[in-house]
Amino acid sequence: MYYVAEVNESECAKYNCKQCVLFCPEPNTLMYHNTKHTAWVNYSRCKGCAICVYVCSDLLKRNCIQMVMMTTGD
Amino acid sequence: MGLEYVRISPGFERYMPKDYVDLVKYGQFGRQVDVQQLGQFKELVEEHPMCAGCFMAYFIRIFYASLPNPEDTIVIGTAGCARLALSQAAVPFVYGNYGDTNAVASGLKRALTIRFPDKVKDVVVIAGDGGLIDIGFGMTMHSWFRREKFTTIMVDNEVYGNTGGQESGMSPKGVQLKMAPKGKQFDKINAVELAKVAGCVYVAKLAPTNPKRIAKTIRRAILAARHFGPTFIHAYTSCNIEYSIPTEKVLEDARKREKQDFAFYEWMTDEVREYFEEIEKQSQEVKV
Ligand SMILES: Cc1ncc(C[n+]2csc(CCOP(=O)(O)OP(=O)(O)O)c2C)c(N)n1
Ligand code: SF4
Ligand code: SF4
Ligand code: SF4
Ligand SMILES: [Mg+2]
Repeated sequence: MYYVAEVNESECAKYNCKQCVLFCPEPNTLMYHNTKHTAWVNYSRCKGCAICVYVCSDLLKRNCIQMVMMTTGD
Repeated sequence: MGLEYVRISPGFERYMPKDYVDLVKYGQFGRQVDVQQLGQFKELVEEHPMCAGCFMAYFIRIFYASLPNPEDTIVIGTAGCARLALSQAAVPFVYGNYGDTNAVASGLKRALTIRFPDKVKDVVVIAGDGGLIDIGFGMTMHSWFRREKFTTIMVDNEVYGNTGGQESGMSPKGVQLKMAPKGKQFDKINAVELAKVAGCVYVAKLAPTNPKRIAKTIRRAILAARHFGPTFIHAYTSCNIEYSIPTEKVLEDARKREKQDFAFYEWMTDEVREYFEEIEKQSQEVKV
């Protein structure tokens, strides 16, 4: 089990926003889907720091990212 | 050089790792990316072992997305946390002995200028506060006195992070660290003023709160070093481990420090200012 960020894509797509993507410390991890207009997480690269949650919930009050437990292999 | 630098020989595509293929197809080579497009192209820097939530790692991520000329850039680092990520990028990386980075960079930049007189080759040192302002102090200062044409970036986490928490000259006065149990007795060194006095032509100080501005600062430092002389960026890049910052509060901490002692600061010589005014008139952004 490990801790990763998960984007609620249908919620995120309501905003034309890439802010969390610009603040993730990890490269190629918190990505942006150009046609679906949503951020998404490459789970195998996410280190679970929750900086993206701070950006989306605390700074922007959009609450589209949650930290979740994943089972290896998910 | 552009894409030629990484292009896969015909017939070998299916044997190459996916990350490499992505780098060729969707990477930064042969085109200029904007830092605002992060998350939509394959970044130069790969997975690395720096800690979760490390803002030094974040700064390095933005650094690689900001390079004006990645295919002709050489990065020099040394012992300390930064090299753990610097060495995982598709940009040549030289590991200087601890304290030697700016001497190695001086020789390298001069040699590249002789060997490739018609090409732009950017040399950038990225090292810690210990590496540049404590143990590497003499070599850092002398590279500036000699007006060597490369960029020095200090990723200042205000501690020796990689070796478990010794105080550095850049630790703030009074701060308690594992190896400063009574609190640091001396002031934080004013690196930016030292750089100005020692001959840098462009000097900036920042906290990583605004990726667009970090990118612009890095580009300016690299472009000014190409034409005029040494340039220096002092970046606050917290160590959440040694300073016990919960990872989700790392950006909040950077925003707080920006309001205190890391307000954005930029200084340059008149000559450099005129140069930027000139090239920025041509394009809105600093571009190559
Ligand atoms: C010549 C030499 N002396 C000492 C060391 C041990 N050493 C490795 S990293 C480090 C300190 C790193 O501190 P800093 O430069 O601030 O980088 P940080 O890890 O904080 O990013 C030291 C003393 C070394 N590798 N080489
Ligand atoms: S938890 Fe951290 S590493 Fe994972 S996506 Fe969010 S910011 Fe990136
Ligand atoms: S900060 Fe929130 S709304 Fe903005 S892109 Fe990220 S997940 Fe979507
Ligand atoms: S020890 Fe500190 S500076 Fe080094 S990788 Fe971890 S958080 Fe970053
Ligand atoms: Mg340090």
